[in-house]
Amino acid sequence: MSRFYGFDTLSLHAGQTVDSEFGARATPIYQTTSYVFPDTDFAAATFNLERGGHVYSRITNPTVSVLEQRIAALEGGSAAVCTASGMAATFVAITAILQQGDHIVASTQMYGGNISLMKNTLPRFGITTTFVEPTDLQGFSAAMQDNTRLIYGELIGNPGLDILDLEAIGSIAADHQVPFMVDATFNTPYLCKCLDYGVNMTIHSVTKWMGGHGMAIGGVVVDGGNFDWGATDKYPTITTPYAPFSGMNIWEEFGPSAFATRIRCEAMRDFGATMAPMNAFLLLQGLETLSLRMDKHMSNTRELLKFLENHQQVAWVNHPDLASHSSHGMAKKYLPKGAGSIISFGVKGGRDAGKTFIENVELASHLANVGDAKTLIIHPATTTHSRIDAEALKAAGITQDMIRLSVGLEDVADIKADFEIGFRAAQKFADA
Amino acid sequence: MGFSTRQIHAGVTPDPTTGSILTPIYQTTTYVQNSIDEYLQKGYSYSRSGNPTVKALEMKLADLEGGVACVAFGTGMAAVQGVMLAFLNAGDHAIISDVAYGGTYRLCTKVLSRFGIEFTFADTSKPEQVTAEIRKNTVLILTETPANPTMKTSDVAAISAIAKDHGLVHAVDNTFLTPYFQQVLELGADISIHSTTKYIDGHNATVGGAVISKSQEHHDKVAFIQNSTGSIMSPQVAWLTLQGCKTLSVRMDQQSANAMAIAEFLESHPKVEQVCYPGLKSFAQHELASTQASGYGAMLWFEVKGGLAAGKRLMDKVDLWSLAENLGSVESLITHPVTMTHADVEQAERQRVGIIDGLVRLSVGLEDVEDLIDALSQALELV
Repeated sequence: MSRFYGFDTLSLHAGQTVDSEFGARATPIYQTTSYVFPDTDFAAATFNLERGGHVYSRITNPTVSVLEQRIAALEGGSAAVCTASGMAATFVAITAILQQGDHIVASTQMYGGNISLMKNTLPRFGITTTFVEPTDLQGFSAAMQDNTRLIYGELIGNPGLDILDLEAIGSIAADHQVPFMVDATFNTPYLCKCLDYGVNMTIHSVTKWMGGHGMAIGGVVVDGGNFDWGATDKYPTITTPYAPFSGMNIWEEFGPSAFATRIRCEAMRDFGATMAPMNAFLLLQGLETLSLRMDKHMSNTRELLKFLENHQQVAWVNHPDLASHSSHGMAKKYLPKGAGSIISFGVKGGRDAGKTFIENVELASHLANVGDAKTLIIHPATTTHSRIDAEALKAAGITQDMIRLSVGLEDVADIKADFEIGFRAAQKFADA
Repeated sequence: MGFSTRQIHAGVTPDPTTGSILTPIYQTTTYVQNSIDEYLQKGYSYSRSGNPTVKALEMKLADLEGGVACVAFGTGMAAVQGVMLAFLNAGDHAIISDVAYGGTYRLCTKVLSRFGIEFTFADTSKPEQVTAEIRKNTVLILTETPANPTMKTSDVAAISAIAKDHGLVHAVDNTFLTPYFQQVLELGADISIHSTTKYIDGHNATVGGAVISKSQEHHDKVAFIQNSTGSIMSPQVAWLTLQGCKTLSVRMDQQSANAMAIAEFLESHPKVEQVCYPGLKSFAQHELASTQASGYGAMLWFEVKGGLAAGKRLMDKVDLWSLAENLGSVESLITHPVTMTHADVEQAERQRVGIIDGLVRLSVGLEDVEDLIDALSQALELV
């Protein structure tokens, strides 16, 4: 099964061969640690990667493999590796190719966990990062150093929702012979297939829209299969003999899926950030309705944008699909079906108004996740970003009145009615 | 092969596709058929009628009980109901142990009675009373032994002989002792019933039931009823039960040893009025319990001096023991049957069969027995 099938067909079938023993229509949940070998030659060949097959569920598992192949097919990549969380995916993807002394150029507008990883954790292992505003193409070029080994960003930035110019940054990466890695969590392959625009690998927190139901934590790294690791000597983890596998040269043996294989051989074996088979099963189930859900997420988002723009108590609305957004042109180019279902907006009356709005809505859930089937809201100034000073808040693009909204799949009229309750409660601050 | 080997390996073979040492969880509704002519060639069509994960558990339990086959149910009560519906029609009559789980009593008196099925609750500890209750329309005898909660013990071989003489089906609820301690089919019963929720799972993780038949004819009737009424076990539950079942023998041995020590402790305690545990010499049917089964299990009950009020105070105050329904788990549980498990049995009937108001039921778990005894000792101080 390959790219000849449409997106919806792939999201239902890719990666699954119907169970040969009983014909079970759903993917079996291989809740097992190990796999019995028919004989020692078979075992040795499996261990040496001379043949495919499962050895131990930390490294591969048949249920998780179905999810990996399905996501790879949806992204149009050569292979994928699932991990226990989205953060684990980012970590294993970076550490598979970078080492002490290496350097990353990354966007400033990213999930806080990604920023923290690059700012605080990776430097402990000698990997440094220069952060550049996502729309500052000149800045990306200028930040490239001799030891730069990766460009990293999120297509839809967090929290400003600025859109990365994938082709332009991809060509900067290509000029410097470094890969371009994009966290595509907010867009999913349904809204944008990043690999078609010069991106070499994508990362997802599958916890979010891909799984879609807030049930299971998981991550994935997709290998685009479109980076020439052998063109330079910058990536010895892939292009030089790998001692644990009898000096195997991963680039020569695995070519377009060398990057994914390196993650499998090292990160899954030695770090063990493994996805559980049950989570893979639940996430597979979520993926089956990805396109339907994303269409509804986007239609609800469009309705709410209209509603918020016309509401007298709303000070401002931020979303790339609005003509007023500085990334509107990029959004039309890369995200024609819609630029994701995250909206930020300001409630007139500042910090107290934002807080009061959140405390009074009933249907929308007040929590820090995004990408659930249910509508989620949070007031960053009093929660996720409450411990940082005013200047740092401003630098992060967070204002005191800002509310971040992850638009769910409810009847949009009900979401609007719920927001009216919040606005009525916050009215007194707007008037003050 | 021995019981411990079979409890681990029976019914389970490595997955032929991947070698997976554990049976996969076939969380699927349906099965793709190769062609119309090959329909059901791989054995499965729809998960109500059969599921490979559930099948592995069924094969394991059938092996452990020494039956031909097993039907796994969604709950223990579904298993009891499955047996009754498989053999009883309107106008038929069944004899049930007069001490049995309150849910069994409720099913007979409040539900199946509405469909014209008659029940007599007989003292199955006296086989002659079973004979005396047999009518022309009697079809089934259901014995629960040891019985919940009084531990009344019935002679399975004797009742099976009576059933055979009269052409009746004899089913035994073997939940309290499991096939590890009590081989009811070998003793002569036709059918063994389990709440797998209890010792077979053993970890308070699942709710489930099972019916194991000695003959294919009986099994087919039970399987037909299940497929018709749909009270199936889910694959996820079957998988968890398959794992729990692997340690059945070691759990039963240790929990029984703990129960014996606790029974002896209570029997010697000045604040305890009476203790009832089949392993105690003072247990009225100690000899039958010793010959019919190879262990005494981990269920017992006692009465605190001061009756109901004292017992309630003890149950409210005791640490470590969880005040909860269920039994048979690795966690020790303490239960007041009159207000909890047997609340649906009328007071007069309870009194008649010996479920006294002050009865405190213990399901002894796998904790260090010193800790369990300390907790009871401290609670008794407060009474």
